[in-house]
Amino acid sequence: MSEYLETTVDKFVFRVAADRLYGAEGVWVQAQDGNVRVGMTDYLQQRSGDVAFAHVKPVGTKLAAGDELAEIETVKANVSLFSPIGGTVVEVNTELDRGPEIINESPYEKGWLAVIEAADWESDRAKLLDPQAYLSAMRSQAEQELIG
Amino acid sequence: MGQTSTYSTTVRWKGEHWGHLAMGNGPEMDFSAPPDAHGHAGVFTPEDAFVAAANTCIMMMFIWAAERFKLHLLAYECRTEGTKLIELDRTEIFTRLQFRPSIRVAADGENLEVVEGRVRRAMQSAQKYSLVANSVKSEIVIEPEIVIEE
Repeated sequence: MSEYLETTVDKFVFRVAADRLYGAEGVWVQAQDGNVRVGMTDYLQQRSGDVAFAHVKPVGTKLAAGDELAEIETVKANVSLFSPIGGTVVEVNTELDRGPEIINESPYEKGWLAVIEAADWESDRAKLLDPQAYLSAMRSQAEQELIG
Repeated sequence: MGQTSTYSTTVRWKGEHWGHLAMGNGPEMDFSAPPDAHGHAGVFTPEDAFVAAANTCIMMMFIWAAERFKLHLLAYECRTEGTKLIELDRTEIFTRLQFRPSIRVAADGENLEVVEGRVRRAMQSAQKYSLVANSVKSEIVIEPEIVIEE
């Protein structure tokens, strides 16, 4: 079970899992067993709205860092998620087909999107944010949106 | 987000227990209070307006959510009741809004349980994102009757 950093902006509470790294645009990355698991952050799922459908690139897809990894259709918007690392999709969360709401309910655990076999993990890893850095960046972004 | 929009209506007293309402979106009509509150039958009232505001808002939000959830909606009808409480000091409040939507959706070859799940989630989203539902103090209860046609 992950431990979380937490911040409150206006009336919203956002959690950041302490055991992984982050792309600045709100995709988390967790290294495990030689591959990396990726998903949406709590801030991004709250910002995007109730998820209706999640379209993740299928197993076998080769991605460069910055390529589209998934399109998330919510009640309010279509959100493109871009992979913060390069590699090959080796597993997709099949639970998303039947219950994509797990992205909202459990963004850091059950709502993961895909597992990627990283092409150059050490190089990509250096460009990712640690939890505290992501929390600060996300908080600034949320405050900026409140100002309008 | 912290964005704001404004909406307006204008009311004008016409004498006795009558008024005229001009809505920001165009329609105009006379209104009164309900007969049990010294008004007139057969015309728009604040009580009707309150319940209608919630009912219409939830419906429009459901229609939007149904599109986003890719539901093939065949019919939607909802009777909504507002329960008024008269307090000891004679102040009044709508304590509860009870929605009973009847929803009919075509499965179009999809698994019936999956489609029903999407209908329920669309209904939950309709409540969550309804401007009016979010703006009232009343308890909101939604009891949908869902029929999925094969």
